[in-house]
Amino acid sequence: MKAIEDFTLIGKTVLRREDSYLMRGKAQFLDDLPEPKGLIHLAFVLSPYACADILSVDASAAKALPGVIDVLTGKDLVGDIKTFAPVIEIEGYRDVRRPVVAVDRVNFVGEYVAVILAESPYVAQDALDLVEVDYDPLPAVAGIEEAEAAGAPVIHSHLGDNHIFRAAFETEDFDARFAEGDLVLEEEFRNGKTAGGMIEPRGCMAWPDPVATNFTLWTPTQIPHIVRTAIADHLDIPESVLRVVAPAVGGGFGTKAHVFPDELIVVALARRYGRAVKWVQDRRESLLTNMHARGHILHIKVSVKQDGTLCGVYLNLKTNCGAYPNHPYSPTLEATGCARMLPGPYRFQTYRYDVSSLITNTCPTGAKRGTGQPSAFLAIEGMMDRIGRRLGIDPAEVRRRNTVRPEEFPYVNVVGVRYDTGSYLPSLERGLEMIGYDAFRAAQPKDRLVNGKYRGIGICNYTEVSGTGAPGWRVRGFAKMPGFDSSRVVVEPDGKITVYVSQADAGQGHYTTFAQIAADRLGVACEDVTVVEGDTSKTPYGTGTFASRGSVVGGGTVIRCSEKVGVKIRRIAGYMLDADPERLVLKDGRVADPEDAGRSLSLREVAETAYSMNNLGLPQGEEHGLEATDYYDPPMVTMANGTHVVQVAVDPEDGRVEIERYAVVHDCGRVINPRIVEGQVHGATVQGIGEALMEEIVYDADGQHLNANLLDYLMPTAMDVPELELDHIETPSIDTVGGIKGAAEGGLTGAVPAIANAVGDALSGLGVNITRVPLRPSSVFEQIRRACTEKEGRA
Amino acid sequence: MSAKKVTVRMKVNGKEYVREVEPRYLLADFLRHELQLTGTHIGCEHGVCGACTVLINGKTGRSCLQFAAALDGAEITTVEGIAGDGPLHPVQEAFHDAHALQCGYCTPGFLMTTIEFLQSNPNPDRGQIRQALTNNMCRCTGYLNIVDAVEDAAKRMREGACGA
Repeated sequence: MKAIEDFTLIGKTVLRREDSYLMRGKAQFLDDLPEPKGLIHLAFVLSPYACADILSVDASAAKALPGVIDVLTGKDLVGDIKTFAPVIEIEGYRDVRRPVVAVDRVNFVGEYVAVILAESPYVAQDALDLVEVDYDPLPAVAGIEEAEAAGAPVIHSHLGDNHIFRAAFETEDFDARFAEGDLVLEEEFRNGKTAGGMIEPRGCMAWPDPVATNFTLWTPTQIPHIVRTAIADHLDIPESVLRVVAPAVGGGFGTKAHVFPDELIVVALARRYGRAVKWVQDRRESLLTNMHARGHILHIKVSVKQDGTLCGVYLNLKTNCGAYPNHPYSPTLEATGCARMLPGPYRFQTYRYDVSSLITNTCPTGAKRGTGQPSAFLAIEGMMDRIGRRLGIDPAEVRRRNTVRPEEFPYVNVVGVRYDTGSYLPSLERGLEMIGYDAFRAAQPKDRLVNGKYRGIGICNYTEVSGTGAPGWRVRGFAKMPGFDSSRVVVEPDGKITVYVSQADAGQGHYTTFAQIAADRLGVACEDVTVVEGDTSKTPYGTGTFASRGSVVGGGTVIRCSEKVGVKIRRIAGYMLDADPERLVLKDGRVADPEDAGRSLSLREVAETAYSMNNLGLPQGEEHGLEATDYYDPPMVTMANGTHVVQVAVDPEDGRVEIERYAVVHDCGRVINPRIVEGQVHGATVQGIGEALMEEIVYDADGQHLNANLLDYLMPTAMDVPELELDHIETPSIDTVGGIKGAAEGGLTGAVPAIANAVGDALSGLGVNITRVPLRPSSVFEQIRRACTEKEGRA
Repeated sequence: MSAKKVTVRMKVNGKEYVREVEPRYLLADFLRHELQLTGTHIGCEHGVCGACTVLINGKTGRSCLQFAAALDGAEITTVEGIAGDGPLHPVQEAFHDAHALQCGYCTPGFLMTTIEFLQSNPNPDRGQIRQALTNNMCRCTGYLNIVDAVEDAAKRMREGACGA
């Protein structure tokens, strides 16, 4: 085997093979696929109420419309599809099941009330207006505090209250150790609900074979195998009769890493009607009904010594589950995720958390890039700044004093997570250096006012959970989350390579990077490798592409699998060359014997022997074929890390936050393709800028969703993005195959706290306390105004 | 509600088409489902995201906000018409080299916007490029590589024009 240092293609920028067909308009996204004959188009009647009893559904006018095939209510589907719920096995979690179409109660605006089946999408839309639903509206609760208030309406009566999940953790002698600090600081942080916001809305299409015993579901998902398992479970069909295909996926960001009711419905209806069934959502539906994320309240208390070091941390976290738990993670994903990720790069060993998730009359929440991490670091990084301000220590210095030191790796954090390697302090120092931190601080006036604007600097020093393996999912209660991913590497009879991977690309460039990896390990050109993924009928089982696991687990399995097949290539070539297989080298598409310089075989010649296409035969005991399969279950988690340092100017006239400088230092271990990593960092950071300054899904007190369109749900445009100064540090993991760590989420995790801290620093002279994102101009302006009024009042 | 169909003639990517469609049929649907030109994507159906941008008589327009019937006789260019199966257009080359696309769903719209923009402004600065790109939303790239790509495309096209 080649050593890590021998990598030839891993670590190189190879331009993406995906680009050509995407830029020529030839990609096949869900709605671009050729439509089967006799296709039924679906549209869903959505609940206009956050909470209401459904008294009756009159679909007679809709059914009478030419082109309408049928209209079905929740009751009509009860026999076809079991109530929908994730399988969560952890103390404190209470089961809540969801009818895929509401039966007699709706619990959020946008919940499916009826499904229209029509011959064309236009007719299906027409029919929507003709379905008359008689609702009896009930009091709704949209927010966490309303949901847990005494006397709040109980949304799922079997729970008795609105808690779906509670968990707690406490290190030994917590109270005594927490009390060892010289002072205690506390704060409450909040973030708004946000959306993944991928530009391709969701949709899906199911096709039954002519006798309707086998089904193919095309769905733009990040988790095709998990979708297949869930559908088979809920429809009571064997997994073997269902094939799930992720076509080109127009952005996922975690939103498409769930199983959705509509995916169950299209397969069930294809089975019922024996016809192909398709549904594509519009943007309003996308923002009303796809998973939301965040919406957390974090109450944090830190106990600190005079020198700024942490003695202990207490976190009370409340998350808004929405009306139903998401599948497959449930709200425990963000709740325990956030609490367990909060220690970040810091050394404290005294920690207690209490987390709870509350059912509300809003869209379910679930995975989105970063999951609990942007919240966790908003809190812990916010406290680093507060400690500094309170004790008169520079906030960068407070971080230095608390950060895991280089000599302490491998380090086990307070919740038992192993940090095998990392560049926590070097990354912080590099970020500070890039932004010219010391000079900025030296020149910064106490009131932060420079040329009419308040200027400040914010830091986020983060860790990024990536490549979670089975133990990492089990500890959080996810019973049906495999953790591993898999691959099958085939040397075809002509010597070219096909790599089948259990993942599903949504823009990450897998078709290029996995080809790079296999080509590197097998000593062939990238062009000689074809990558196939996103199809349960072609790839072995696996977990999928989310939570920064593609490169770690997908990349890891392709490395392992390529090396496995490499062993067989050498055995057969050794037999053909009469040489010790161990010493043979795979290079330039050939298998060469370095001790016999003239002798080598092309991969094709070896493959021809393996596939019995010549008279050479095989060594004794060798099977035909030239392929291997690999299942790679990585460690519990692998921690990437990085630092964001942001300089902002806040205009007191209108509350607008302008990002003047933005430095990112990023360490995702072994880099496969630097250009693609850079793209991930850019994209995630800009999503973080959105969460920090612009994006928020707004519900009113009655649970009405007020901004389900892209004019009112503000995502960053090219005008909202600063130039990013990027630097990479490469500290390979010692626990993962190839030393790879994940790269997709840190940008978002770093951005939100760094920007919040920068605004907090800029306005610290005014006494404004920044505790909530997004920091939209209206809220910043209001906080400045209030602070100024208070100041005048005191004067 | 469905109504009597009307005849629409359109020249799309240089080819003449005649189709019978409902008056309310959107240009985007016409291109995608009548002509099978599925490179034009629909992202919001309310004219904000720009994924559906095409050239209508040489000017960018949102195909999700226009009725096909109202464009009888129009000349349309979609992403399929930029380079066909031939060598990539300099704008496409620049996007490829700059890693200016990830999932690629929004990319056709960005390409159309860029082509029109560089025709009117062959030597833009980054501020002007950013402003022109607010026509379109991308959720994957964070825009910076797209700005780089447009800058580079402008350079390639200027050099190409000089060389010609």
